[in-house]
Amino acid sequence: MISDKIHELMGQGDAPGRFGPFGGAYVPETLVPALRELERAYRAAQEDDAFRTEFQALLSKYVGRPSLLYEATRLTEALGGARIFLKREDLNHTGAHKINNTLGQVLLAKRMGKTRVIAETGAGQHGVATATACALFGLSCVVYMGEEDVRRQHLNVLRMRLLGAEVRAVTIGSRTLKDAINEALRDWVTNVDNTFYCFGTAAGPHPYPTIVRDFQRIIGEETRAQALDRIARLPDALVACVGGGSNAIGFFRPFIEDEGVRLIGVEAGGKGDASGNNAATLSLGRPGVLHGAYSYLLQDEDGQITMTHSVSAGLDYPGVGPEHSYLQEIGRAEYVRISDEEAVRACELLARTEGILPALESAHAVAYAAKLAPELPSEQVIVVNLSGRGDKDVETLAAYLKGRSQHE
Amino acid sequence: MSERLNRAFSEPAAGLTRLIMYLMAGDPDPDTSVRRLSGLAESGVDVIELGIPFSDPMADGPVIQAAAERALAQGMTFTKTLDIVRAFRKSYSTPLLLMGYLNPMLQYGWEKFIQDAVTAGVDGLIIPDLPWRESKGLRSLGTGLAQAAGGHLSFIPMIAQTGEPEDIKALASENQGFAYVLSRNGITGGEVEIPATVLNFIKDLRQLKLPLCVGFGIRNSEQVQRLAPFVDGVVVGSALVERFAALDAKQLNPGALIEREQEIFAWVRSLKATP
Repeated sequence: MISDKIHELMGQGDAPGRFGPFGGAYVPETLVPALRELERAYRAAQEDDAFRTEFQALLSKYVGRPSLLYEATRLTEALGGARIFLKREDLNHTGAHKINNTLGQVLLAKRMGKTRVIAETGAGQHGVATATACALFGLSCVVYMGEEDVRRQHLNVLRMRLLGAEVRAVTIGSRTLKDAINEALRDWVTNVDNTFYCFGTAAGPHPYPTIVRDFQRIIGEETRAQALDRIARLPDALVACVGGGSNAIGFFRPFIEDEGVRLIGVEAGGKGDASGNNAATLSLGRPGVLHGAYSYLLQDEDGQITMTHSVSAGLDYPGVGPEHSYLQEIGRAEYVRISDEEAVRACELLARTEGILPALESAHAVAYAAKLAPELPSEQVIVVNLSGRGDKDVETLAAYLKGRSQHE
Repeated sequence: MSERLNRAFSEPAAGLTRLIMYLMAGDPDPDTSVRRLSGLAESGVDVIELGIPFSDPMADGPVIQAAAERALAQGMTFTKTLDIVRAFRKSYSTPLLLMGYLNPMLQYGWEKFIQDAVTAGVDGLIIPDLPWRESKGLRSLGTGLAQAAGGHLSFIPMIAQTGEPEDIKALASENQGFAYVLSRNGITGGEVEIPATVLNFIKDLRQLKLPLCVGFGIRNSEQVQRLAPFVDGVVVGSALVERFAALDAKQLNPGALIEREQEIFAWVRSLKATP
């Protein structure tokens, strides 16, 4: 067990980028200078009007931002209770919020003179978004993906290859996102001189949790402006799925100071609360160090990282971004969990009421909103971040539904 | 620093240089680990590194990843790792360092981890995912607790060729016994050539006035001979783990296994022997 004293001490490391005690840069010595170089380059880019202008132009002219804030009236009617709006990140180019971050990071890579980009991917959305950004800027791209995810997200593997990326299947450990990150870190520590690691979620060592959050902030900023425009006030609750937590943190961040806005992160409850059956890190884990940061983890008593399960590859991760750990610790955000079955039912519900097929990851957020809305009065407003579209999950959904009908 | 570790570096090296060798605790089982550590000590190894298995060893290559998987699969824990150290200490005074990742140490309880390690006879720690910049608080608490437990625990710093001069200077300001210099950027295992750039890097580090041991990709006596004039020791890990793993894969009867292990110990002795 980590004592209170050690918990506090973890927040006092020399590296900046702490969220209370969480975060830090617990990486091999070889990577320490690379992370500091990245931080310096990022700070300089932020101050640079030319960089910001180029990033903004890409978001509006390439990604198609701002994404819509869509009122799901048929879904609201079907459920009764609070009004539900959807922030349509699924309409972005490449079909998810991931492109916001990869364009920012690949622009940074170009600015730093790196010629080779590596990335990890779980559901394949970050891999596709990285491959896309690399194609756009003519950089070589290698994506690490767990063998299990290569199988269940085959469509995205084909997309990455068409975009010119090399996909390397990771055949060790649990063969999912966590092992893809391990392999990407091993590649980076070996090729640090010419390689930029385009990290996909708001986790990992400092400065990644900050960089990824900042590039995803646009989701929350637009939502805020769109809500003020449409309903002349802020929403009552924001709901987003949390694997590593990049879409959720970008969505929540501009609302942190608005204490009247409930921030709800939805984790993968999988098949139940027993170890190995879920990926509900904040709800069921405890603090520890993995992939360079001190944050919540799913682990056994000995500190070994445990197997996880989720029907959604993008949430199937035993860690979570350090800022989410902090928001939970200070009580600013709530974290709940939704099972595989509930997420699949939410896919069907949204498809049939609104004609929108969400990614299985995002369906977790939809499912929780569907539970919450009937408990709230009809003047309240819930905004769900619909972080990605469901085309990639059609085969997984078909297999799941087939299994269910056979079972019944 | 502990008396054992101090002695290893203050007395002249026997052979070409000092030899630091790595084994994963509990691979393939704790009793075998104790026997092999003893064999290494008998073979003149100067310092032993005992790996604590972790599910996500991000600084390790395939050989040590596989060793960790084997150890964990047969139920290895940190408590059992300390049992191995205690059993070894009954007969040997070779300095022993634990090499492992931060999370299992934190979960055991940092305070208890330090006390139990010192009491068991551990001389120092190598933690690849705790860089010097992040280690200050845990290190000073650990050093204090080790002394309170009546011993000394060194926090062996790693020096990477990418390291910034101010960091290298900072970590060299305290003599923890020696500094672990990385032969290259990357992960454990593979094979490294010893180019002139590495030797120049080591020569520059000499001004630190700190014993320097080089590791990562060191696997044969030719490499040891090339490095020996410039360093205070070399670290051999994956090459040893791989040899024992190949032997274990043969599933020999216990007598035959022990017999064949002698060939590996002969190779160990040859590594730093004067040609």
